[in-house]
Amino acid sequence: MFKAIVSAETLSSTLDSVSVLVDECKIHLEEDGLQIRAVDPANVGMVDLSLEAAAFESYEADGGLIGVDLSRLEDIAGMAESGQLVQLELDEETRKLHIQIDGLEYTLALIDPDSIRQEPDIPDLDLPAEVILEGKDINRSVKAADMVSDHIALGVDDADEFFYVNAEGDTDDVHLELTPDDLIDLQVGSAHSLFSLDYLKDMNKAIPTDTEVTLELGEEFPIKMHFGFAEGQGQVTYMLAPRIQSD
Amino acid sequence: MEFAAFATHAAEIEAEPADLEIVDLVTDLFEDAGDADDDLAILARFVQGRVFPAWDSTTLDIGPRSCYEAIARAAGQNVSAADVEDDLAEVGEIGAVAAGYEFGGQQGLGAFTGGGSANDLTVREVHETLVDLATAEGSGSQDRKVDLLFSLFNRCSSEEACYLARIVLSEMRIGVGEGTVRDAIAAAFDVPVDRVERALQVSNDYGRVAVVAREEGLEGLDALDLEIGRPVQAMLAQAGTVTDALESWEEAAVEWKYDGARVQLHYDGAETTVFSRNMENVTDALPEVVEFAAEHLEEPVILDGEVVAVDDAGDPLPFQEVLRRFRRKHDVAKAREDVAVEPVFFDCLHVAGEDLLDEPLVDRHARLESLLSDEGLSTLWLTDDTAKIEEIDADALESGHEGIMLKDPDSAYSPGRRGKHWLKRKPDVETLDLVVTGAEWGEGRRATFLGTFLLSVRDGDSFETIGKVATGITDERLAELTDRLEAHIRTEEGQTVELEPAVVFEVGYEEIQSSPTYSAGYALRFPRFLGVREDKGPEDAETLERVLELQGSQ
Repeated sequence: MFKAIVSAETLSSTLDSVSVLVDECKIHLEEDGLQIRAVDPANVGMVDLSLEAAAFESYEADGGLIGVDLSRLEDIAGMAESGQLVQLELDEETRKLHIQIDGLEYTLALIDPDSIRQEPDIPDLDLPAEVILEGKDINRSVKAADMVSDHIALGVDDADEFFYVNAEGDTDDVHLELTPDDLIDLQVGSAHSLFSLDYLKDMNKAIPTDTEVTLELGEEFPIKMHFGFAEGQGQVTYMLAPRIQSD
Repeated sequence: MEFAAFATHAAEIEAEPADLEIVDLVTDLFEDAGDADDDLAILARFVQGRVFPAWDSTTLDIGPRSCYEAIARAAGQNVSAADVEDDLAEVGEIGAVAAGYEFGGQQGLGAFTGGGSANDLTVREVHETLVDLATAEGSGSQDRKVDLLFSLFNRCSSEEACYLARIVLSEMRIGVGEGTVRDAIAAAFDVPVDRVERALQVSNDYGRVAVVAREEGLEGLDALDLEIGRPVQAMLAQAGTVTDALESWEEAAVEWKYDGARVQLHYDGAETTVFSRNMENVTDALPEVVEFAAEHLEEPVILDGEVVAVDDAGDPLPFQEVLRRFRRKHDVAKAREDVAVEPVFFDCLHVAGEDLLDEPLVDRHARLESLLSDEGLSTLWLTDDTAKIEEIDADALESGHEGIMLKDPDSAYSPGRRGKHWLKRKPDVETLDLVVTGAEWGEGRRATFLGTFLLSVRDGDSFETIGKVATGITDERLAELTDRLEAHIRTEEGQTVELEPAVVFEVGYEEIQSSPTYSAGYALRFPRFLGVREDKGPEDAETLERVLELQGSQ
């Protein structure tokens, strides 16, 4: 059983956060809210999302599991105007999701969850450095690096206490430093890892610029990025594996 | 099997120049396949650079550019698809280009879950990922394909990357053909080559045959049958002459060679599937064939035939028109209004659970006749009479088709084989411009037309006869020729007319033979009328000397 009413914005944010990594996902319809966990085909980038029941106008679920085609569902959510509500109801028998936006009714065929890539185990990482900053600063870092390279190095200088971004291109380089004054918070620790911009650019798309984002970093370790959405009633964690640094 | 092990085998095979040694090496590969069925089946395909069975027309549907992009992403910092393309231009071959990069720079999250480093890529994982890639469709599917391919390249060593890139772009080229795989299956699992060959013909699936040979041996192979819905390769013809046909067989089975496109119809008693010659499913593009099946078929069958495009009067249209219909994916109904197609069937491979491949052609045709009565049936004449064959050929040409097929009446149906059992009549090698020096009045309906024309070559100032063209001319054309030639009649005796040399015909033929029948001392075998040489007079006609030259060069 699943029946819910949610704002179009919240639904879109939820879907967009996941669709930057995968095209299809499983959604757990728990009693206290939604849970989505997915990893890209190369097992490099992962998303772990939860949306509390309180984020919905109304929410009833009893622990079901559905598989959805994200771009399809995003298209439907995109039909709603700002402020409109979307009503979702699962038909257990036909395994279809009935979606209603005002007078618009859409019946979405679901995907067999077994045909969707297995949900990842979440690595239990103890990352030494933590950086809290605004989404727009991540956006700026990614943009700057993208001008010269397809990779980005993120690190924390624990002696001088700043967070930095490095990108090395064939000819040009980019370096950006953010001191504690520029950041919301910085917990120094030894951290420097190289990441593929292909992934980070996609993740960046889903991070609202005005949101507080927490980065956890280590030495040649995956990065974790947390942020909230839907007034804090939704939580997204991205995790991205590093590239081995050639030199 | 690990993909790395496959790559090592492939590299050894590629380095080996001798065909027999290659068979040994492929045999080794099959013996090393490990117990899982999947692995052997996949290896039997991968080694030929295939991902899917031959009967399955699924493709990866990934462009070279997407493959370069995946390689670039896996290759490391600041390598772009354009760089890969530049390397390719220099190196000339994608395998070597891929092998030139260092992959694996991108770590997976798995490396941090405490489960140790990522496992080595297996043949099965590569296969599963490629199947996923093939099934990705819709918006963004090209990106998804690149992601999936990247996930593979990222885990490849140089050698693995080389063969992965080649499989993806269908450029395996390690010297392994279908025959190699057949022989290797026979050697690896100790079964006779001809039985493997038969199993391959009916199943059209190298992977499955390899597995059956290993698991069930000869008995299993022999039990493989045609399956409705799984296309087999079409039997093919080679070029040949009427002379070849009648020398090889007592009688020839003669049928029209339709100017259409080959189709294989599978009907399971309810559903119809139509496949093109390269085994693509073209059912949706050809509703006429589906309707034909619904109307005329009752039992499950597999039929071999052609679809012909026809105009409103039912006359055939050029081959291009048929192709236009084959490629049509949308608006089929509209296309159908513009160009209608009709199926014509000439062979029957399977009826109601019974495979007929090994039955003689004439028996298969008899089954076909009983299934179809007259509708959509290609007539088969059995004859050893060259004049009759000539007539069939002429009728076929007159009806707008390509000529005739000559088939061995006793031959089995050999899928995928271009053998001597089916001959398509060779087009004329050479044509001659010959003077019409005589004719005969026709009979019956054609009594008022000059019908059979006596042809001559120039020999100095005189003309010597060399053959007759009897048919292959439409009524309209005959009336026109009669008009022209009547003015030149010298004498008449019964039906036979002597003409003064005036009109020149362009005539095709199969060969020139010495012959006492004609005054030139030579005769044309299977002459055909091609047209009137309006630009030539009798003085421009071919000389006996030239005919001697041509005969000498045969």
